[in-house]
Amino acid sequence: MNDISEAFVSSLGLILFLDAELMEIILLSFTITFYAVLISSILGIPLGAFLASTHFKFRNTVVSILFGMMGLPPVVVGLFVYLIFSRSGSLGWMGLLYSPMVMIIAQVILILPIVCCLTFQIIESLHTRYHEFFRSYRIAKLKSVIAYIVDSRFELTTVVLAGIGRSISEVGAIIIVGGNIDHITRVMTTAIALETSKGNLDLALGLGIILLTTAIILNGFILFLRGKYLKTSGSTI
Amino acid sequence: MASEDTQIRINDLSFDIEGQTLLHNTNLSLNGDGITVFLGANGAGKTIFLKLLTGLLTPCSGSITVEGGKLSIKTCAFVSQEPVILRRTVLKNMLFVLEKITSEKSTLAKELLSLMGLDKKEHQNAMTLSAGEKQRLCLARAIITNPEILLLDEPTANIEPNSTTLIEKYLIQKVRSSRKIFFVTHDINQARRLADEIVFIHTGRVIEHSSAENFFENPKTREARKYISGKIN
Repeated sequence: MNDISEAFVSSLGLILFLDAELMEIILLSFTITFYAVLISSILGIPLGAFLASTHFKFRNTVVSILFGMMGLPPVVVGLFVYLIFSRSGSLGWMGLLYSPMVMIIAQVILILPIVCCLTFQIIESLHTRYHEFFRSYRIAKLKSVIAYIVDSRFELTTVVLAGIGRSISEVGAIIIVGGNIDHITRVMTTAIALETSKGNLDLALGLGIILLTTAIILNGFILFLRGKYLKTSGSTI
Repeated sequence: MASEDTQIRINDLSFDIEGQTLLHNTNLSLNGDGITVFLGANGAGKTIFLKLLTGLLTPCSGSITVEGGKLSIKTCAFVSQEPVILRRTVLKNMLFVLEKITSEKSTLAKELLSLMGLDKKEHQNAMTLSAGEKQRLCLARAIITNPEILLLDEPTANIEPNSTTLIEKYLIQKVRSSRKIFFVTHDINQARRLADEIVFIHTGRVIEHSSAENFFENPKTREARKYISGKIN
């Protein structure tokens, strides 16, 4: 118990004095999360909006596959990406294995279905209300998809935040493809796993506090946005 | 624009859904100008008929053609009973339906909002308007597209009396002379105030079609007489 409290105090010291190693890990975590969520949002939000507002032959199959992909096991994704980017893999010539770039790719594979499916659910309910109006005014497909995204902006912000939450707390895939290399691919989650196994609890706890605080801030922000949206729109949706 | 010579011909129009016929083979010739009111009880098939006219529904058989004029069924604007409001400002709602936003159109949008009593709310979030204001916005938004035909599906069904008065006054004074209006209602008094001609629909069949004057003074069918006297709701 004494060891834990000492480690806790020590971890607070690392945070307050902006320990260089801690800051480097945090910065890399946020950078990878930023790019993974950015790419997932750029691809996933329009795709989700398009699927929600368009009917084509295999739409239900595509949607079912995407929903199934929401529960992809991170370690399996990590293994899959590892095999592709390893030296003998089909994209091994790119030399991306054990780099932040391949960690972003793995995270995009994990987050994209989440962003896409949550967007689909949000915009499908809006589509029920809007589609007759769009059809009667002969609104072009692209314009209507943009309108769905613009009009769901508050809800979509929560989708992005959910993506950030998933990305920043993910460990299984990135530890396989990133290798947890010091100063290169070490992020908060992989560092926590390593430092705990080494018994270096102060750094592990310091990172844990940062991770937990980030999650709390994100959830608080989601609640704030929801409240703001309900207040300004007068809607319960 | 609508003219007296133009006729909208409905030929053998019918609509089924899941084996149930909601509109039976209908043949009609409607005036190309003025206000045609589709009158009938709830569930009679008025909205189905209107949506077939707009093209929102595809008929199972039959056709709709325009004869004797330039009136095109494709240049119509539809306003539904439940106002569809985009989550943006009142003015942006107006401009959304335009293919190209010009300064003239922006000015027109502001003029229309002023006519609808919404000029002071043009920068307000449209979602926060009252039900009547939302419906007035929908009507103004329909007019800005300069439609040849305006199709209104019970636009005053759920709104306050002053909005109903404003909409009716606007339709009679500003719109009736320049474009064709199809108006769905089950309110007999409203039909009396607005209609030039009446299409009375009962259980998916058009059973009476005549001028408003003839319909109310001398209804030909038993159902129409019962409806006018309030015995069918």
